[in-house]
Amino acid sequence: MKDTVFVMAINEALREELTRDEKVFIIGEDVQQGTFGTTGGLVQQFGKERIMDTPLAETAVAGSAIGSAMAGYRPVADMMFADFMWIAGDEIFLKAAKWHFLHAGKVNVPIVFMGAIGGGFKLGAEHSQCPEAAVMHTPGLKLVIPSTPYDAKGLLKTAIRDNNPVVFFYHKALLGFAGQIPEEEYTIPFGVADIKREGTDVTVVATGMMVHHALAAAEQLKDRISLEVIDPRTLEPFDIDTIVKSVEKTSRAVVVDEDTLRCGVTGEIAAQIMEKAFDYLDAPVQRVAAANMPIPGGYMEEHALPQPKDIIAAVEALMG
Amino acid sequence: MKLEKDDLIKLYKNMVLGRKIDMITIEGLATGKVTSFFHSGQGSEGLAAGVASFLRDDDYLYAHHRGHGIVYLISKGCSGMEFLAEHYGFAGGCSKGISGFHSVDPAHGIMGSSGTIGSQFPLTLGWGLACKKNGRGQVAVGCFGDGSSNRGTLHEAFNLAAVWKLPIVWVCDNNGVAQYTPIADAYPKEDIADLAAGYDMPGVVVDGMDVLAVHEVVQAAVARARAGEGPSLIEAKTLRYRTHSEGSPDVFHFEPRPPELVEAWKKRDPIKSFAEKLLAQKVLTPQDIEKIDQELQAEADEMDRLATASGKPDPAIMADMIYAE
Repeated sequence: MKDTVFVMAINEALREELTRDEKVFIIGEDVQQGTFGTTGGLVQQFGKERIMDTPLAETAVAGSAIGSAMAGYRPVADMMFADFMWIAGDEIFLKAAKWHFLHAGKVNVPIVFMGAIGGGFKLGAEHSQCPEAAVMHTPGLKLVIPSTPYDAKGLLKTAIRDNNPVVFFYHKALLGFAGQIPEEEYTIPFGVADIKREGTDVTVVATGMMVHHALAAAEQLKDRISLEVIDPRTLEPFDIDTIVKSVEKTSRAVVVDEDTLRCGVTGEIAAQIMEKAFDYLDAPVQRVAAANMPIPGGYMEEHALPQPKDIIAAVEALMG
Repeated sequence: MKLEKDDLIKLYKNMVLGRKIDMITIEGLATGKVTSFFHSGQGSEGLAAGVASFLRDDDYLYAHHRGHGIVYLISKGCSGMEFLAEHYGFAGGCSKGISGFHSVDPAHGIMGSSGTIGSQFPLTLGWGLACKKNGRGQVAVGCFGDGSSNRGTLHEAFNLAAVWKLPIVWVCDNNGVAQYTPIADAYPKEDIADLAAGYDMPGVVVDGMDVLAVHEVVQAAVARARAGEGPSLIEAKTLRYRTHSEGSPDVFHFEPRPPELVEAWKKRDPIKSFAEKLLAQKVLTPQDIEKIDQELQAEADEMDRLATASGKPDPAIMADMIYAE
């Protein structure tokens, strides 16, 4: 194993896949420099034809990726902030997601749409969102949200090799997060949850930054309540089995997500737990998510986004 | 390219067969065989055949949505039977009846068709990018209408296609009206081709009722694209013979579209006028014209029969179609 940080794990995955398959290329606004550093340093090795800077034109970025993907390439479309995916809504949600189905499997759309998600930097309502619910809601798209450098690298390599459009969200606040990855090549299959901390009293399901909030809550509660923290890592495909197995042991569950509470990912996961683990539950599933409001900037941001204390409060409510 | 006798007949047949399939589709709506809707392309056959009849199989084409692309599709080598079966929602459709009207045929460069107007611009940009990366002299042809020309996606795609010098031919079917909105109320100038100047690419206006004129400008633009000299814009002036969507009112905004306008354009019908030209040039005799008409009618009827016979698809096929392996 070797030490790395999240952003370098992403960068390494891109570098390895660009080397492995000449059909892979990266396209987006200022990817040669890399707004978040994820794509930095690649143009020097792979050239401008494969690390393609575009002007400010999200529909053209997404469209270029979709068209060339159908024609046999494997583009990584860097949408910069995940919020900007909405600008290319037709391309991502109607074309990339549906055209394989709509055309009876005669075309494939192997793309990775990368985007930075999440709050914590007081960037306001249009640079802080986690548009997870919309992606998970849309049949045809896959959704990856890593919480560690190890997961980021292994899942991104799998995403690039997948024959479907995959949305790969990385959290801005995690980019400098340190961790270890193997020296040798590895990939992580989709649809396999990872138990980030074992516990016995309450199952906490979370992705991205919320995994770390859940781990912080677990640490603070450890003398009183034992939390089992599960990171599904991919929300589509979704590994409900690992969660059900955990709930069989703990009988209680809290679902945490940084996207909005209303019609959010937490509602879907809570419903699935209810459907598949009802007999194991001793209490209603609790949900912790962003408040039903646009994300404010400035000092009010933290009041809209879920914090470790909110997870602790939900756990305590469950334990009575 | 110089058109030989067979080429001229091919153009003519593509137009005639396309219109027959268009008419069968309209009839299918009336009888309930067509499950969705239909936006007839009658009036634009000259444009469609002129654009698509002499492209390579590996050239990408986004067909115009009028007629759901039928003349473009058969001109590009696609199956009319599959077109009809798809509209019937039947298993023999190009999309196995899943889409209801979207065409696809990757072997002939038809990578799909869209339900949202204006989305062809970013997608064609992507196909053009792939063509350039491939380096095999392929081109991508992106057809759109005066209606789509109002979309912002046009700018993003025109701009990048020009900046990247992509082998793309943009073809506008300006039939004068987008659903119910006349172009005069949607665009401030006479010619949409004028947009080309802003992207430093050639922009030409052509009579869309004249298949040979269309063929000529398209071939020039295709040659330019294949030579790596970048995109072009062609605007063809046509007229929509029928209403926007079968069964919908034929209006400018809320007032009836002047019938004399349609009648005036019909006098220059692309099929009729090309037939007259072929007769005058003695490429075809009146007997030939009659024979072609009968043969193509039989062909179209046979497509209809086979499409109908393919029957309803098994809904079980859908579950495995959402994601690729």
